[in-house]
Amino acid sequence: MAKVVDGLIKLQIKGGAANPSPPVGPALGSKGVNIMEFCKQFNARTQNSAGKVLPVIITVYGDKSFDFIIKKPPVAVQILEAVKLKSGSAEPNRKKVASVTWDQIKEIAEEKMPDLNAFTMSSAMKMVAGTARSMGVTVSGEFPGKN
Amino acid sequence: MNYIEVSLTFDNCTSENREIIAAILGEIGFESFSDIPEGLNAYIPKNIFVKEDFENALDPIKPILENISVSITEIEQQNWNAEWEKNFTPITVGSKCRIRAPFHEADSNFEYDLIIEPKMSFGTGHHATTTLMIEFMLDIDFENKTVLDMGCGTGVLAILAAKQNAKKVTGIDVDNWAYVNSIENAQRNNITNFEVFEGDANLLSDKSFDVIIANINRNILLNDMDKYANSLKPNGILLLSGFYSHDLPMLIEKAENLDFSFSKKIEKDNWTAAKFYKQA
Repeated sequence: MAKVVDGLIKLQIKGGAANPSPPVGPALGSKGVNIMEFCKQFNARTQNSAGKVLPVIITVYGDKSFDFIIKKPPVAVQILEAVKLKSGSAEPNRKKVASVTWDQIKEIAEEKMPDLNAFTMSSAMKMVAGTARSMGVTVSGEFPGKN
Repeated sequence: MNYIEVSLTFDNCTSENREIIAAILGEIGFESFSDIPEGLNAYIPKNIFVKEDFENALDPIKPILENISVSITEIEQQNWNAEWEKNFTPITVGSKCRIRAPFHEADSNFEYDLIIEPKMSFGTGHHATTTLMIEFMLDIDFENKTVLDMGCGTGVLAILAAKQNAKKVTGIDVDNWAYVNSIENAQRNNITNFEVFEGDANLLSDKSFDVIIANINRNILLNDMDKYANSLKPNGILLLSGFYSHDLPMLIEKAENLDFSFSKKIEKDNWTAAKFYKQA
């Protein structure tokens, strides 16, 4: 028999950094879930993305058990990663105008294509570029695809 | 540790805008985020929160957020795991060891009766990584040995070593709650030869042990193993746990580079614990 779902909890947590403090503690603890068990599992499953903000959707069942799915890093997180790669610096320098290349935009768009509401690679790239601009990150060079 | 909750609300709160805020705040030390109907709550340990950094980080994206409002609240640390802890079930490992809460009756059939009130620290025996360690420990003669429990959490493994007649047991944990909790649990079990330090593997520089046990995670074990090697006496035993079975080769490679010899592994639910000897 399928287990009864008690609730869905949507959080964004840095890979490898779940701990029982808020928001994980209050969100799971109030449902009687063993928070420490969630933290151990989440941190092990995200050990290769340590420090990256990852969306996680936790399903809590009536018997206080749980499972969870971890999504790919959001476009915004990947853009910041790309900025760091391009500048060669671990810290994005907010004083300067940060920028990424269309190649980097394409890489992100290719990876996120399944999650994006886009029909073509060109439109997916434009969506990713739009997010970048919203964050104050410019895209350098000419758009390579068809308009 | 107390946390700062920053509540951001704005009119155009799309999931894209929420993700942008989370990504940017993640860069300045915020650890986790939860959606609220009109925006996002962001969380950061109080000791690393700098209001000016937060405002500077937000500046570049302010133009896209309509009618943004920000409120900052400090959240007092409390035992968020209390609901689960108030009625967890005792755990038995093999025929000798039983871990229970103070509210459970003792069971005299078990040679090692460990009483643990976890208060949001790791180590109640409910996780495979702990039971695997206990399985290894029950086969080791601790008589007169000095033992280090790295990342001691509740102190459950340190307490077991003490009950197996270790000469002296030292715990180290980076978390203040675990530090306090391990002292409470040691007292609860009438352990008098236990000492604990709050911090990380950098505390090991002037210490040496016959046995080191570390149930943490892959990344920390890989990072700190050289410090364990420096603090372990020749022929000493190193027990590692807290990692997936498929990560074992990586840990063995690192250990062998540090002159450990791999002795044995045990597995449960896709988790592995491993035993090494330090070459003389």
